[in-house]
Amino acid sequence: MALIQNTKCECGHQNPVGTVLCEACGKPLDEELAASDSVLEMRYDGMARRSQKPHPNLIDRIWNFFSSVRVAVWLILITLVAAALGTIFPQESAFVNLTDPAAYYRENYGTAGAIYHALGLSRTFESWWFITLLVMIGASLVICSLDRVLPLYRALTRQQVRKHPQFITRQQVVYVGPVPGDAEEWTARFAEILRRKRYKVRTEGTALLAEKNRFSRWGPYVIHIGLIVFLLAVLMRGVIPGWYMDEYVGLDDGEIEQIPRTNYFVKSLGFRIDFYSDEELPEHLKGQLRVKQFTTKAVLYECVAYCDDATRDPELREVASHDIRVNSPLSYKGLRLYQYDFAETPRLISVRPTLIDKRTGRSYGPFELPMRDPPLTYSVGPFTLELKDSFPEFGLDENGEPVTLSREPNAPAFVFVIKGPGLPEEGVPYLYFPREADRQRFGQDRINGAAAEMFDIRVMSMEDVEFSTYTSYLNVRVDRGMPYVWTGAAITMIGLVMGIYWNHRRIWLRIDDGVLSLGAHTNKNRFGLRAEVAAALAKAGIEVDAKALDNRRKET
Amino acid sequence: MRRHKSVQYLILAVMLLIGGYAVGRSFASSGDVLRPGDKPPSFRLADLQGEAHTLEEYAGNPLILNFWGTFCPPCREEMPALQQQYEAWKDEGLQVVGINLSEDRHRVENFIRRIGVSFPILLDTNRRTERAFGLREYPTTYFIDANGVIRQIVSGPLTIEEIDERVKSLLGSA
Repeated sequence: MALIQNTKCECGHQNPVGTVLCEACGKPLDEELAASDSVLEMRYDGMARRSQKPHPNLIDRIWNFFSSVRVAVWLILITLVAAALGTIFPQESAFVNLTDPAAYYRENYGTAGAIYHALGLSRTFESWWFITLLVMIGASLVICSLDRVLPLYRALTRQQVRKHPQFITRQQVVYVGPVPGDAEEWTARFAEILRRKRYKVRTEGTALLAEKNRFSRWGPYVIHIGLIVFLLAVLMRGVIPGWYMDEYVGLDDGEIEQIPRTNYFVKSLGFRIDFYSDEELPEHLKGQLRVKQFTTKAVLYECVAYCDDATRDPELREVASHDIRVNSPLSYKGLRLYQYDFAETPRLISVRPTLIDKRTGRSYGPFELPMRDPPLTYSVGPFTLELKDSFPEFGLDENGEPVTLSREPNAPAFVFVIKGPGLPEEGVPYLYFPREADRQRFGQDRINGAAAEMFDIRVMSMEDVEFSTYTSYLNVRVDRGMPYVWTGAAITMIGLVMGIYWNHRRIWLRIDDGVLSLGAHTNKNRFGLRAEVAAALAKAGIEVDAKALDNRRKET
Repeated sequence: MRRHKSVQYLILAVMLLIGGYAVGRSFASSGDVLRPGDKPPSFRLADLQGEAHTLEEYAGNPLILNFWGTFCPPCREEMPALQQQYEAWKDEGLQVVGINLSEDRHRVENFIRRIGVSFPILLDTNRRTERAFGLREYPTTYFIDANGVIRQIVSGPLTIEEIDERVKSLLGSA
């Protein structure tokens, strides 16, 4: 481009640098272009874009970079490839409890997995470079749109009726020929015909501009607005605290747990699996166990006091309850608890054992013994049981000392000191295993020795045992960005419909010395426009074959 | 045209702000696991006497924060070493705090009495603090300097020598 470009048109209009077609009369400004007779490129009506301003400074250069459609296409392609790579192996975020991701990828996917993890592709979608790509696409969307929509808007709102003959005869659809009768009268008649075809018509003597469905030109920009809303919603989801959460809670039957990083607690009243009965199953599946439904009866509590006070129990208020099933989450103020998984983990919650005095044959109790946080003293008949120690999962260490192997009540054991009538003042120690299997395995009576001769502590019936069969895993989700994601998607759809189902059609004409020059332009469906122009001309007394209007045919 | 220019600058500035924040967050939220250089999350936990203590109380002096449980053999093994080092360095300002991994109080009391631990023991409940710290192994020990910044994180049992070496660097850096 020449450094000093004459941008003043012969019609007297001063155009900005970068203008292709005079903003006023539409005459091609570039001398080379003016000398040829090719069909005119009507992009943005030949207006100069903001990014074509001369002598760009740094800010302009940044603006120009993002205003380039080529850059936008590259950004989208790179993002597509990156997103595709991110789906080769599962993302780290898909795992509930991944302690050593590097080892996991190496063991499960071999060398490829190790490389995948080392490159950071296992965290593609949270990575700084992926977010940067998204942000750049967002910037490109905004700047590309602004850079084009504003000149286009200006061009379309300030259209001149009388255009340069070159502008008219170099459109896609062109007719040049004599006009029957009076020129002004013919123009008025033609204007009426076009109005009936829902064109907005303006005339200036023997010049005419007819236009319809201009709004369809805004379709692509509406799509961009929708996409920007969509992108912003997705970005905000990761940025605004409390907008997005994806956590897992494991609950034994009857257990209550705090939902991480919230003020809510969830309690399971029990997990249940229902199977199909034989009547419900087809012939070839009869007799098989087929799961019909997983259900967790859940209650949601909100902490109202002492929530962060470790010295006392939090005060909870029930806010919701629901039988959580697959695709039927418990939902409360944007918080959703989905059934995710379960495990068969039989565990004692509490027992109500009876103390038997073997010397007299009398039994006392039962007394309540919870597995978690048991009380330290129990009054059972004339006896007092003092809890000296307890082991959630009883075992012996390398020195043969009793220890607990975990904090889960998998093999609970309790060390009591029994005091009461007929016993020494310091009492008699007694080790108690609530589970019969543990009692046999560790030899409760052998360990207790003489005390086993005097006492027995045991549960008399299954009614005195409270236990959990399952651990139910719930997926806790909050996604406050979703309404905005849907809004963005809806706006995008509206833009798509606007741009695709309607097309922007314009017809220019002028009559000079009894010769009609007519040019027509559309942003899509040229065949429709050609047929429409031919039909309108026919009504006005000029019979012409629609195909003959195609300007491109003349080029060859 | 000047008006257009300021609008252009404004649009670029807003995008830089939103984009910068989003990208910055992607660096920050690289996981819940603590790393040296981080400040540990605050907590408020009860000691064995039922009195509440917060992390802030220990500010101003180097602190060894040890997560332990009676169910974890290496935790049991290193407890005497921690006690020994606590006694050796407490006059220099070293603080040692043991956070028990949500076990029943009487179990913790029994163990502490047997080992003869004299540094403060706090009781986590429902694994809340342990989760806030993003603990993955037991025991885990945090060496925190006087400014409240984590200097080192050690998973697994520590010997007297290993503690000694780290305490010296903690006291030296303060």
